[in-house]
Amino acid sequence: MKAVRIAWRVTCLNFRAQLEYRAEFLLMIAIGAVWQVSVIVFATVLLTRFTGMGGWDSSEVLLIPATRMLAHGLFVLVLGRMHFVGRQIQEGRIDIYLVRPMPVHRQVQLAYFPTNAIGDLTVAAGLMAGALSRSGLDWSAGRIAYLVAAVVGGMLLEAALFTAVAAAALRFPAADYWSNWLEELLGTFGSYPLNVLPRAVSGFLTYGLPLAFVAYFPAAVLTGHGHDTGVPYWLAALSPLLGALAYLGSRLLWRWSLGHYAGVNG
Amino acid sequence: MSGSIEVRGLSRTFHTTVRRPGVAGALRSLVNPERVAKHAVSDISFDVAAGELLALLGPNGAGKSTTIKMLTGILTPTSGEARVAGVVPYRERERNARNIGAVFGQRTQLWWDLPARESFAILRDIYEVPKAEHASRLREFDDLLDLSSFWDTRVRHLSLGQRVRCDLAAALLHDPPVVFLDEPTIGMDVVVKEQVREFLRHQVEERGRTVLLTTHDMTEVERLAERVVLINHGRLVLDGGLDEIRRRFGSTWQVRATLADAHFEVVPLPGIAVLSHDGPQVVFGPEGADAPTVHQALKAVIERYEVTGIAIDEADLEDVMRAAYVQAGVA
Repeated sequence: MKAVRIAWRVTCLNFRAQLEYRAEFLLMIAIGAVWQVSVIVFATVLLTRFTGMGGWDSSEVLLIPATRMLAHGLFVLVLGRMHFVGRQIQEGRIDIYLVRPMPVHRQVQLAYFPTNAIGDLTVAAGLMAGALSRSGLDWSAGRIAYLVAAVVGGMLLEAALFTAVAAAALRFPAADYWSNWLEELLGTFGSYPLNVLPRAVSGFLTYGLPLAFVAYFPAAVLTGHGHDTGVPYWLAALSPLLGALAYLGSRLLWRWSLGHYAGVNG
Repeated sequence: MSGSIEVRGLSRTFHTTVRRPGVAGALRSLVNPERVAKHAVSDISFDVAAGELLALLGPNGAGKSTTIKMLTGILTPTSGEARVAGVVPYRERERNARNIGAVFGQRTQLWWDLPARESFAILRDIYEVPKAEHASRLREFDDLLDLSSFWDTRVRHLSLGQRVRCDLAAALLHDPPVVFLDEPTIGMDVVVKEQVREFLRHQVEERGRTVLLTTHDMTEVERLAERVVLINHGRLVLDGGLDEIRRRFGSTWQVRATLADAHFEVVPLPGIAVLSHDGPQVVFGPEGADAPTVHQALKAVIERYEVTGIAIDEADLEDVMRAAYVQAGVA
């Protein structure tokens, strides 16, 4: 409880601090929204020009970017500071965190308030509302619960990928650049049914970099395409759980890397 | 809780890739990297008693910061042992963090976008300091460091001196028995430096804190430390009291005498050399291992010659440490 209270207090203070720089605050929200412009364009083109994609109709496809965007927005809000760990290492911030009686990972997350997450989440909420309103599915309690689990699982899977990169950056700060590539990849391929891609690419995005588990597989399960994903149905259905397990694994990796932290400048 | 520091055979080795010169060399390093071990700290041992202020000195790259990082739990040593207030810092990082305060002069532990006072409040929660105790300690630090005139300003807008004063307060608000200061006064003006030194002296003498200080400022060492550990290339080369170091390396005094008779024959005295003789002006200096102290030399010169004027030039700590560095192979 104490940890939650401190985290909440620091977050409120950080948020208040951001509010005091009005122009900077609004710009950050705008950049969060504008960053997702490719997704918005994709959704618009999808709905106005095509009837479907890879055997999915447009309203079903829309559930993929909506789930991914919401998961991404929550990741940026809750765990997204892993993205800039390399910079925090270079600035010696990690050294400071290590001399405080608080987990370093938590301190990294509490370093500042991610104002851009407001823009991300606004776009994501709009997209999800649009996807749900166009969906012809029966939104039973079970399906809604699975969607919520999918969003949380997607957030954790994205966090796992960035935490793994951050863990590598603790030992090799230049590894932080990989997080830019990762973000680019998630933005580029995260919105499509991956069965439209060549088998090698979709295989890589399933077993190499498990992007498919963020939104594609959960959306497939929700829309009844779960048997046509190229992986066993149970594996696709377990995406939220795999996200949670991947996150736990990445935290263990982070902890191990922190034990071997060498810092900069000796 | 005892605030002592025990260091036994502490070593830290980093592995780096050798940089070969030129583009071809860089490409060769990429294809066939040559890894070398860099011994940042090698087998150093020393103790700091509870309530003692020890200055850890050495040139840039000597291993001072690496030593402090191991004692604060930031780095894990390659070998050796260290205990800080009874805790092995790199094994029990969070427990050690409750016992120590740390100030790294070139980086802040305050939240950059928040006023310093908000950072103090967050640290109070993190360290679980009772509110009344926190308020009373903050009042005390305000009296000594004059914090209240700027503690409501965001840290990013503070001057260096203001920021480091806030950092000092932040490091000590949870009343740690041991404090690590890595070049705390670097870049400060003389007035603020003196204020910080006064604060540190108060923390050692009145509060009994153990302080391990690294600095390149010999005035600071002279004002604050009674004992010095000198390291170079990661090895401990000298561990002693300031008096002892002065005795070993500081006998670089000069006695400048003006003789009553310019034609008086000047002869060397035991352990005292004539460095120059120009008319009535004579400069004496120490000679040999058994050279007298400056006061003994003064007495001997006055007894031997009729003098109309006399002055003493005694080496300050900067000179003493320079001599120590030279003899220790540092310079």
